Amino acid sequence: MSHLLSIVVAAPAVAAAALLAMPRQWRLGIRLVSLAGASVSLALSVVVALQFVRTDGGLQFLERYPLVPSLGIALKLAVDGWGVALLLLTGLIIVTGVLASWTVARRDKEFFVLLLVLVSGVFGVFVSQDLFVFFLFYEIAVLPMYLLIGIWGASHDVARAGPFQFVWSRFAVGSKEYAAMKLTLMLLVGSGAILVAMFALWSGGGERTFDLQVLASTHFSPATQNLVFPLIWLGFGTLAGVFPFHTWSPDGHASAPTAVSMLHAGVLMKLGAFGVMRIGMVLAPDAAAAWAPVVGAVAVVNVLYGAWCAAHQTDLKYIVAYSSVSHMGVVMLGAATLTGAGWNGAVYQMVAHGIMTGLFFALVGLVYERAHTRAIAKMGGFAHRMPAVAAFFTLACLSSLGLPGTAGFVAEFMVFLGAARGASPWWAVPGVLGAFITAIYVLRACKTIFWGPAPEGEFAHLTDARRTEWAAPLVLGAALVVFGVWPRLLLDFIDLTSSGFLHRLPVLAEVLR
Amino acid sequence: MSAWLPVFSLPLLVLALAGGTLLFDAVVTVPGRVLGWALVLGLLGTLGASFVVDLSGTVPGGVYVGGAWALYFQRVFLVAAVLGVLAAIDWLEKYAPRRQAEYYALTLFSVAGMMVLPGARDWVLLVVAFELMGIPLVVLAAWAKNDGPDAALLPRLAAEAGLKLFVTSAASSAVTLFGLALVTGLTGTTRLSGVAAGPVSPLLGVGMLMVLGGFGFKVGAVPFHMWVPDTYQGAPTPFVGFLSVAPKAGGLAALAVVLLSAWGGHFKLWGPALAAMSVASMVVGNLFALPQSDLRRLLGFSGIAQIGYALVALAAGTEQGLAMTLFFVTTYLFTNLGVFFVVHAAAEQAGGHTLSLLTGLSRRAPALGAALLVFLLSLAGIPFVVGFWAKLFVFLAAWRAGLVGLVLAGVVLAVVGLFYYLSVARSTFMSDGTSTERVRVGWPLGAAIVTCLVAVVGLGLWPSGLVEQASQAASALLTGH
Repeated sequence: MSHLLSIVVAAPAVAAAALLAMPRQWRLGIRLVSLAGASVSLALSVVVALQFVRTDGGLQFLERYPLVPSLGIALKLAVDGWGVALLLLTGLIIVTGVLASWTVARRDKEFFVLLLVLVSGVFGVFVSQDLFVFFLFYEIAVLPMYLLIGIWGASHDVARAGPFQFVWSRFAVGSKEYAAMKLTLMLLVGSGAILVAMFALWSGGGERTFDLQVLASTHFSPATQNLVFPLIWLGFGTLAGVFPFHTWSPDGHASAPTAVSMLHAGVLMKLGAFGVMRIGMVLAPDAAAAWAPVVGAVAVVNVLYGAWCAAHQTDLKYIVAYSSVSHMGVVMLGAATLTGAGWNGAVYQMVAHGIMTGLFFALVGLVYERAHTRAIAKMGGFAHRMPAVAAFFTLACLSSLGLPGTAGFVAEFMVFLGAARGASPWWAVPGVLGAFITAIYVLRACKTIFWGPAPEGEFAHLTDARRTEWAAPLVLGAALVVFGVWPRLLLDFIDLTSSGFLHRLPVLAEVLR
Repeated sequence: MSAWLPVFSLPLLVLALAGGTLLFDAVVTVPGRVLGWALVLGLLGTLGASFVVDLSGTVPGGVYVGGAWALYFQRVFLVAAVLGVLAAIDWLEKYAPRRQAEYYALTLFSVAGMMVLPGARDWVLLVVAFELMGIPLVVLAAWAKNDGPDAALLPRLAAEAGLKLFVTSAASSAVTLFGLALVTGLTGTTRLSGVAAGPVSPLLGVGMLMVLGGFGFKVGAVPFHMWVPDTYQGAPTPFVGFLSVAPKAGGLAALAVVLLSAWGGHFKLWGPALAAMSVASMVVGNLFALPQSDLRRLLGFSGIAQIGYALVALAAGTEQGLAMTLFFVTTYLFTNLGVFFVVHAAAEQAGGHTLSLLTGLSRRAPALGAALLVFLLSLAGIPFVVGFWAKLFVFLAAWRAGLVGLVLAGVVLAVVGLFYYLSVARSTFMSDGTSTERVRVGWPLGAAIVTCLVAVVGLGLWPSGLVEQASQAASALLTGH
């Protein structure tokens, strides 16, 4: 039995435990230990990817430890092709995230502890093969966020407008406490739904087990499936930012500190989409097929509405946050096509968007730290002061709008291809339209901030990236290009698993017949 | 005579400790601290004895049955007593130095009553045990006379706490006794199992529901809950911790014996009533906790909600449900005691129990703040602390019994609960607060908090041992041991 995966999951948690034992004055030590924990996970994820047998779409690196045998709960870890791709993404984001938070000054020890615990949870979700353990890790990945945003986040003024403005003052909309509480509560309503779905799966199969492999080979009754799928879609979909349960995301991401935004938008939202596909669609395939039109239609709303909202924002972080909502719509759209190309595109978009949005948030944090504003209207001409930041920001923008040669293009292309091949070819139209609107708002923002004329004097002191700040732009920027020009690097893994799962779907069975 | 003595020995030992304390105090004067520690040792000895001596068997006449079931609860009560005494040592020495032995003795008398409850199989014994448990609590609730951190308020609050508990407890006893008069009168026996033999007439049904309502008062379930927040607010905080767990566990033990064992055949009668109480408790407890600004009131309403969760599993009416109720109660014991102890320690330093005084606690006392967070998360039912397993098992048992509506209500309301638990965490962690004075925690209280913390985290990581114990106890009850 290989222990690679348990080390990947445990390394950040062990580092967090080590941090607890360190005095808070060892500022460099704290950072180095955090970096070490994250790096071990990344390095071993790469090892997993290299050793992964690319002819076998099933589970590999299996580890199993009984946890509560009487209820059929076991700590069972293994990866399939999707898992490998997402492990790599998580590793990349957390290493660069730790480096990007090098300058966190306030209560830094607790910050890194929580960040690392959270990442352990994320790794755990991607490798769990037991529904129950999956859920446990999911909760670890969600909860530290409350404190991370509430303590280290930033509050900001939200212009009071619209019919509900009285509510805004009542609940202090715009404050970090509001954002943290909103995010936590919405996500936990989601996990409540997931929990109920878990019960239904546990008792519906007659096996009384949470083992995903066993559950996947069980054919659940239509009643169970029709209960489970909507609950899973609601539960994990909330985390994936599915309309209309996406509203935690802009507030949360805008208020969160840089590394947390990177991790949350870059990885955690993927975790939601991963859950919908891996649990909902795979375990309840008939219901998934029946619900696909709804899921797809909502995903289309996500793409367009997210882009439309992003186009109206004046705060840089809100633009990126709403663009995440829009891009996660593309993921859900790919999933809803129930085609090989669509699913590959969906998983590829998870990785591509994860890297891109990680890069975005890292750069936005960098700019904010120097300019102390996120209002786009106040900024301008930053390219003269920080050319490298400007270049990488532009790169992220290009990937965001799906320019060929960047990872975003590969993903969106496959999703739209899948949509065109699937049951509702018209889905591709709003998808492409969304990409078009994206081009408008990202390029406009990019132009104003970096390439437009500079306001007089105010920003003369700005400097380019320094020291550890280089990590995120360089690593993530390079990844965007590499995955853009050489998609097979990941697609080999992803496709292996997608086609394995798709055989369970009735839609495909009809096509094959 | 001697044949039943070992079977009944645990309650007698506690009774002896209680009586001995009073006698001893009348003869010699010892520092209260010494007395407190001695009682902790005595209780721990009793707990140890429960593992060594074989206590199973039936008292001739069958009014009391010892075995895995009774033993499980007796151990729970003993642990609660140890922790309750530990936490009270410093408080008593500071605020009621002249009334220490009495406090301990009354606590132990109450515990002695609890110890009899789970094994009682006769209405007379059950009611006597109930009263032995309940009456000392009334006295203890009013113990804080004109002292304590928020002294100006206390005389009124303490009197209110005691009086409210007294009146409702007397009323509940009256209701129970009225119901019992009907039940025993109609069945012609004082045995708990008397009802199982006969068909249920409407009058008997009314009697049974009245007994159920009487028990509802003891556990603080809606609609019999109104004493809870006021009593919690006025009574001494270390005592409130004890009050919030041990008597409730006792009430649940009695409920389980009566409903599942004696009235198991009448599930159709009490099942819906219990389910309704459960939903009402979860709704009222969670919603009314939201606007509270006094921590003890907040925890009072949270306790009502928690009892609602415990009743979810009991309402399933299955052996698994019963086992999960036991698990829930045990974990709730450690969690709620822990929360009250931390709140007590913080309030001693801050000079009051309002939520706003807790701001910045994690800066002034990092360990205490972290402990509070762990307990709050456990109450909220978050993974890796034991409260998660407790809620999960409870819901799972109910789901298996087909109570889907109860589970859905429970899950949704658990999220509501998270809001106010997190609000407490927010004041402790997110705001820096104005005071920088460090919080001092005495040895006994510290030991109690650490014990709770170890239990909450340890059971959270490895729940299966306790689950097994609870399952054995549950099956012992249902197979008649």
